[in-house]
Amino acid sequence: MFNRRDFLKSTGLVAWGALAPGYLTKTACAAGNSYGPGGKDTILVMLQLTGGNDGLNTVIPYGDPLYAKYRPTIKIGKDQIKKVDDHVGLHPALDGFARLLEQQALCIVQGVGYPNPSQSHFRSMDIWQAASMAETLTEGWIGKALKQNAAPAFHLAGANEPAPLALAGAPMRAPSVTSLNDFQLKLAAATGGESKMQKAIIEGAAKANENAPEMLEFVKKTAINTYESSKRLQEIGKNYQPKVPYPQSALGNRFKLAAQLIDADLGARVYYLSIDGFDTHSGQGGVNGAHANLLREVGDAVAAFYQDMAQRGHGERVMIATFSEFGRRAKENGSRGTDHGSGAPMFLIGGRVKAGLVGAHPSLEKLEAGNLKHAIDFRSVYAGILESWLGVQATDVLGGTYEKATILKG
Amino acid sequence: MNNPQPIDVQWAWAPYQPSAKAPWDLRRVGHLYRRAAFGANWDELQSGLRKNPQQCLDELLQGGPDGPDWPESIGKGNVGPQIPAWWLKRCLETRNPLREKLAIFWHNHFATSDAKVNNAGYMLGMIKLLQRHALGNFAELLQEISLDPAMMVWLDTNTSKKGMPNENYARELMELFSLGIGHYTEQDIREAARAFTGYEIKNGRGLLNAAQHDDTAKSLLGKTGRFKAEDIVNLCLDQKCCAEYIALRLFRFFISESLTPEPQLIQPLADEFRNSGYNIRQLVERMLRSNLFFSDHAIRTRVKSPVDYAVGIIRALEGNVSALALAGALEGLGQRLGYPPSVKGWDGGQAWLNGQTLLFRQNLALALSSTEDDRFKSRTDPARLVRKHRHDSGEQPVQFYLQLFLQDDVPAGTRERLTDYLAKARQQTPPVYWTAEQSADHPLRAVCHLVLTLPEFQLD
Repeated sequence: MFNRRDFLKSTGLVAWGALAPGYLTKTACAAGNSYGPGGKDTILVMLQLTGGNDGLNTVIPYGDPLYAKYRPTIKIGKDQIKKVDDHVGLHPALDGFARLLEQQALCIVQGVGYPNPSQSHFRSMDIWQAASMAETLTEGWIGKALKQNAAPAFHLAGANEPAPLALAGAPMRAPSVTSLNDFQLKLAAATGGESKMQKAIIEGAAKANENAPEMLEFVKKTAINTYESSKRLQEIGKNYQPKVPYPQSALGNRFKLAAQLIDADLGARVYYLSIDGFDTHSGQGGVNGAHANLLREVGDAVAAFYQDMAQRGHGERVMIATFSEFGRRAKENGSRGTDHGSGAPMFLIGGRVKAGLVGAHPSLEKLEAGNLKHAIDFRSVYAGILESWLGVQATDVLGGTYEKATILKG
Repeated sequence: MNNPQPIDVQWAWAPYQPSAKAPWDLRRVGHLYRRAAFGANWDELQSGLRKNPQQCLDELLQGGPDGPDWPESIGKGNVGPQIPAWWLKRCLETRNPLREKLAIFWHNHFATSDAKVNNAGYMLGMIKLLQRHALGNFAELLQEISLDPAMMVWLDTNTSKKGMPNENYARELMELFSLGIGHYTEQDIREAARAFTGYEIKNGRGLLNAAQHDDTAKSLLGKTGRFKAEDIVNLCLDQKCCAEYIALRLFRFFISESLTPEPQLIQPLADEFRNSGYNIRQLVERMLRSNLFFSDHAIRTRVKSPVDYAVGIIRALEGNVSALALAGALEGLGQRLGYPPSVKGWDGGQAWLNGQTLLFRQNLALALSSTEDDRFKSRTDPARLVRKHRHDSGEQPVQFYLQLFLQDDVPAGTRERLTDYLAKARQQTPPVYWTAEQSADHPLRAVCHLVLTLPEFQLD
């Protein structure tokens, strides 16, 4: 078993002193510090639902007659809904989440958003990932948090998926990893000695140079972090045996990889995953169909991951948090789908989250330009995660003070 | 990101003339061929150096024959996965690389994926449209793309009906295709969406079905009328910010991803573009012939796209690989032509390189230079190449590969380490089962691989 100190050693932050640029060695010192209240060794797994998840068909106010009226072809029948209380319930495909709720491990934060919401996928996603409305956004909220408490982070990526803005700005660039097998530098050498020479040239060329232009410096920084992470990841066990079966899905595989890395105890505090496809402008479906399939993939993968972690004794160490760049229009459109909207729920999963509902479901009567009005600012939820979970001062990260949402068990 | 000194606008766009400070050297020849083509091979570099920049540019802008035609079987059999492979084949073989590069630029601009369209025939129709207008007229391109069947499926125009409009196309038309965020309101989108109702795909063409079209008045972008799709596109083209937005996109593509240009730097190009009635060739030519293009503000200030990276290696190695195998490899690098990740296309720039994609790049460089990879075999062989050009003795191979791939643009220390490595690799005792030829070729291939792994080689 490796601990964080071993990780730093094996990633060469100690042994590689000569090569490691300043930002890495600084990180090595900071990582030795203990974390703030509630923060020690906790792990955050962010799950991004890309495309704008239809919150209204996710956490459904089945008690409100307007719901069925707004959604003539895509509504979910009352009897199908996984009831949370006598007003709202979960989409039937979120069976996995319903089971987590029974275990007191699911928190549903309702009506999350921000003022004057952008309905551009890309602008709104940037706002959520940076937790800022500034015109130019170059750093993410998690990247900024890691500046305060430096620890490794991983982006577990699908194909065609660049690193998220949310992690940008971290002192060590968080590597994107699609699979352990692929995360290694291959060489063709005639002898062991030649292989060493090749490595020395490749790694030596990535050495920082103070006068390098910005783009070259970026490539070098990426390369040096990658080679180091790759060495470490090659050392952990290849054959991870999950305690519970994971669903056969792309997201299931990524969550299994997350579990494997967490169990290897690399000292990483943040894992970032995403699943795309929520932009359901047409043919969204109801109980079954495109949106239901996405929700099922999410619910089943998250539930398996949490059970696996819990059975390994990490249940109280992990928190999974889901978000999407916006919800969707209250009324469906003529393509049996929904256009871009605003306020929508976030889910928090883990052994220590406050189980049940936080906040009220947005009113279906008092819409804002046809959209659900948010009541809880997403930065309040972030503030809760930052301060109560990661032990990071939220004001600096969020560029302002937001009321900290109560997301943990009392 | 920060530009310490503002760039002199007059100087920037004035035609480049070689001078003592900015000579027509290997570095600039390589730069031109990377940006206006898929990189130069050895002979192109040498002959480029003998010509003047104007001649090289004339040839690149003129272009030769395109790569192989798209086979009809792709559309007829609806075999979408052959699209990325065939497109790469065209890139590898074309004698008109600027046009192919721009077609990919427009594919990224009007990013449409067969993952949703699920109709390879429609996709090919759109790609041909992009190739036809690649250096043509943006106004015509924007009109035609708006009723292109692949686009109509991709952004749901084909299901948008009177009374219940679908906003998908109207939004992206303004946000991504013509104006850029901040130049329209949510109300503009809702109004425009009504104008796009009632269009259907009939016999492979986008046609208006008046019965499903909202024919009432719409008010947007300061105008009111009973607008149809075509009118909305014209309203967008009438906006001053449209030319600025497109010029800025092309600036990022041809000049720099690390320089954020001041508005006054873009303005003269945008004005010209607009006054020319959106003539793309004229705008591209103005950029490529400029002082700014041939300056340090531009050289190696972009990250190579996976296509540029891989096609550049293969063309420089004068190789010929299986395009299907190459397409498979490029998926790992993050670029599958015909399948962009979203309507915003590939983010490009620094987003191309994360830990995983960097490793995939380095491992692809090995596969293409080592001849042992089952996917590519010996169809790209650096040893054969260096012998063909008679640079295989002594330290010559290091010099050859550094000039070919990086035009010598590396620190002196790197060159020394590579030279030292080559000497030692030649002296080592090879495995007993290697033939004499293998033993002689291995160090040549290995040093080529190392050159391809240098950080500088990731930059365009």
